[in-house]
Parts: sequence; structure tokens; C-alpha cells
Amino acid sequence: MSLSLYKQMMKVNFKLIFSFGVGSAIYVALMTTLFPMIEDNMQQIDEMLVIFPEALMRALGFESLSTYSQYIAAEYYGLFYLFILGVFTIVISIHLIARLVDQGSMAYLLSTRVSRAQITVTQIAVLISGLLIIHILTFASGYIFAELTIDYENSFAFLDFFQINLVGFLLFFAIGGYSLLISTLFNDEKNAFSLAGGITFAFYGIDMIGKIVVDIDWIRNFSLFSLYEPGKIASGDANLWLSSIIFILIGIIGYLLSIFIFKKRNLLL
Amino acid sequence: MIIIKNLTHVFSTGKGIFDVSFKVEKGEVFGFLGPNGSGKTTTLRHLMGYMKPQSGQTLINNLDVWENQSKVRHNIGYLPGEISFLDGLTGESFLNMMAGMQGASSKARREELIELFQLDIKTPIRKMSKGTKQKVGIITTFMHDPDIYLLDEPTSGLDPLMQKVFIDLVLEEKARGKTFLISSHSLPEIERTCDRIAIIKEGKIVTIKDIHELHSLQRKTFNVTFAKKEDVNALLESELSVWKIDDFIIQIDIQGNYDKFLTILSKYHIKNISMDDMSLEHTFMDYYKREEVSP
Repeated sequence: MSLSLYKQMMKVNFKLIFSFGVGSAIYVALMTTLFPMIEDNMQQIDEMLVIFPEALMRALGFESLSTYSQYIAAEYYGLFYLFILGVFTIVISIHLIARLVDQGSMAYLLSTRVSRAQITVTQIAVLISGLLIIHILTFASGYIFAELTIDYENSFAFLDFFQINLVGFLLFFAIGGYSLLISTLFNDEKNAFSLAGGITFAFYGIDMIGKIVVDIDWIRNFSLFSLYEPGKIASGDANLWLSSIIFILIGIIGYLLSIFIFKKRNLLL
Repeated sequence: MIIIKNLTHVFSTGKGIFDVSFKVEKGEVFGFLGPNGSGKTTTLRHLMGYMKPQSGQTLINNLDVWENQSKVRHNIGYLPGEISFLDGLTGESFLNMMAGMQGASSKARREELIELFQLDIKTPIRKMSKGTKQKVGIITTFMHDPDIYLLDEPTSGLDPLMQKVFIDLVLEEKARGKTFLISSHSLPEIERTCDRIAIIKEGKIVTIKDIHELHSLQRKTFNVTFAKKEDVNALLESELSVWKIDDFIIQIDIQGNYDKFLTILSKYHIKNISMDDMSLEHTFMDYYKREEVSP
């Protein structure tokens, strides 16, 4: 790892990381401040939810809205969060390797004693730092606004909310793993972006279809997203350890392969 | 110091480099000349360890470049042919990053070079002109005081004044015993600095020549204006290769035989001499033809 490169890379990607981080934090803050209103009318909302088609409820990850964690899991982590973080992870992964190779600036980075492996490790560190910053901002925002607006003892469960964020972070740690791997494979930024985006979107689609069409529920096993069910984490029904270990493994394999492949391949710089 | 042995790398398009071999000695400035797309950059990419040879080998300081990439690069100043820095950095932050990655401890050399090239380091890189970006590249390449320089089209985008500054810098470093490999598509650009020159065409080395030898092989065309018509006719009879342009002007092709040219011309009253600028392509074509004919 090269500290000089890390510092400048964080600087170069600062806007990207912070715009996604702040966007995510604001959304969570907004939704959190709306919760007391929902809570006051909980009975009516629960009655209304009964008439929703079950498939739709499953697709949106609605378990129940009785606690803050369940509410925020359904309103944010089950849908928008996945989109926002998905886009961020893919964009930054492609920017960190494929774009530099495509534009030729990698030639400068590789003109010094810093080895290819060190450069890849540095870029991985930037990616993980970016994910961490976004999750810290999001978590802090949810926590602070919950403290301010919610009758804390009643509904805000710190641990549930923390777990939703932590497992979410690990999900994107894994997605970052294969996206960065794809990033090291291509000379053309656009091709890398299409493949990483395509795979992620396919995972999401498979998960969605499996949730809506109960008969083919099994196809969800082929999607990473089936291992992240914020609604179930909130209600305590999720297998956190299994999900976390699989995400960590996929991520680590992706990052190790990235280092290995980038070390071995011909670069047209 | 730099050894390239039978280096071959063929791309799927059929282009590439074929059986390229040459050596650059310590303290030598070696020119690598060829038209665009002839394989200069591909050869340099192998010397930097960006590409693995399909066959053959590249050695720098007796180390295989592909196997010892970062160790070899330690001592190299490389100026890529394509100017592309990171988006969103100023000249200064880019230089800081590169200095950090190079492990350079002293800022003195960098300051000297910034002064020399009159670079405004506070400007964001994306707002810089091509020539200014090239200056950033050159400073990056020279600031860590390496022993070997690999420069890909170093003067592209520089104005004539800065080209001179650059040439003086190369000569200064050469005097300090540094080794250079400079690629270019233009002979005048590098002839002042180079000791030897390799000419590459379509991925193959056509010739490697001492610069003086190359000069003597280079054909030059002079346009000479005479005061009298008779003199023109007299010269047409001489042993120089001469064409008549009009009643007073003739064109003379010279290739190394400058003495004879001057001896003959000194007998006449001459009103003007001008030299045609011959493009490199022209010089090349001429040179290639001769190579093919000679046994």
C-alpha cells in the first residue's frame, strides 16, 4: 500500500464518496423524522397493510412497521439503499482501476517503485474507506435523528439498526470485491462498467423475482441480495453470521484475485 | 545498461514488434526513431514491465524487467507518451503524490525543475494546455534523479523555447553520466542529444547507426540561385546531382559530400542558398530504399 497514492485517491474521489454519503444520510434523516407520525397511526397502517398483496410485501421487504428498525428497513434499506450503494460501489470500483488504465494515467502511477500489487491494495483500501464513510454517515444520521425525534426507550433498537448497517456494509464489501475484479480485467472502462453493473442488476432482479413468485423461491439462492434482508434483521429472524461470513469470503476472494490478476496482465499504457 | 533481446509481441491485429534487439550503454543517449504506430511505445512498455514479452527478454541493470518490475523501476524516470493525469488534481498535488510514490526525500530538485520550466503548479491539471501538462510530466520524470530515463515523445506540445530548455536538461543529465532512451518521430527533435539512433518501422528495427553516420546518410536538398545563366549550365555539367528549376535557380541533392558541394559552388557568384526542409518520412523513405538496394 502506498500512503501518498491513498491520500490523493481519497482526494480525487472525495466528491463521489461524500455526495453518496450525504445523500444517504439525508434520506435516512428524513425518513426517521417521519417515523413518529407513522408510529402514532400504527394501528390504522397495520390494518391497511393487511390488504396489500403478499408478494408486494415480500418484494419490498415489509415485515411489519411496528418498530423503528422495521420501519427504516422497509422504507430505506430494502430498496433505495441498495440502489444508492450499488451504483456507488460499481462506479468507484471502475474508477479505481479500469478508468485509470483506459485513460492512461495508470502509466504514471506505475512509473515508480510502487508495485502493481501495492497499487491494487491501495485502491481496495480507498474502496473500503469509501463504503465505511458512507455507512458511518448513514448510521450516524439515523441514530442522531432517532435520538432527537423518537421516544427512544419505546422503539429505537440500537443493536438492530447497527446490524442492518453492518451487514449492508458487508454486502457491498462483497459487491466491491467482484466489481474491482472486473475492473482489473478490462482495458475499456465502459465494458467493465457494463459487466459489473449487469451482474449486480441481475442479482437484484433474481432476488426480486424469487420474492414475488413464491413458486420459484429457490432462484433467490443464486443472488447475493437474498442474504441481506434488513426487515428480518430488524425482527431478529435473520441468520446474521451466515450472511456476514459469505459476504466477507466473496469480498476477500474478489480482492485477492484482483491483486493477482492485475499483477500478471499485460497493460496497454 | 538497457538490453533488449529478440523482443517480440504480436497483437491480435497482426501489428506489434518483431525480434527487436538493441543495447543502450551507460551514459549513452539513444534515440528511438520511427513513424507513428511503428512500435516505439510498445517497446517502451516492455521496458517498463507493463507488458510481458511473448518471446525475448528485456534487461535493465542485468535484471529481467518483467520479473523485477518495481525493483527495476526504482532507478527509472519514465515519461509516458500519452499525457493523462488524474482528474481533479492540481499540478502541485499530482507532483506531491508522485514524489511520495517515488520515495524522493528532497524537494530541492523538484523546485529547480519547476523554476526551469516556469510551471504554475497551482493550476488544476484539467485546465492546463497540452504543453503545460507535458511540463508536469517532464518534472515528474526528472525530479527523483533516476539513473535511467525512458522518454516517449518528450517534446510533444512544448514550444521551441521550452524544447531548448528540455534539450539542455538532457545534455546536463548526460554530462552527469545518466542513460537515456528517447523515442521520437522526428529526427531534428532528438539529433542534438543522441549518440546513436535506432530506426524502427512496422515493428522491425531497420538500422542502428551512429548519429554522425546517419547525418552523412541523410539526403539534403539545397536551392541555389546564381547571378548568371551560364553558371547554371556549367553546374548542370558538374558531378553533383543537380536539377534545373528555372534560368537562375538549381536544386542540388547532397548526401554527405559537403566538401565537394562547397568547392564547386565557391567558383561562382551566388545570390541565395536555401535548404528544403525534408520531412522525416522523406528521409526515411530515402534511407529505406538505399538499405534495400545495398547488399
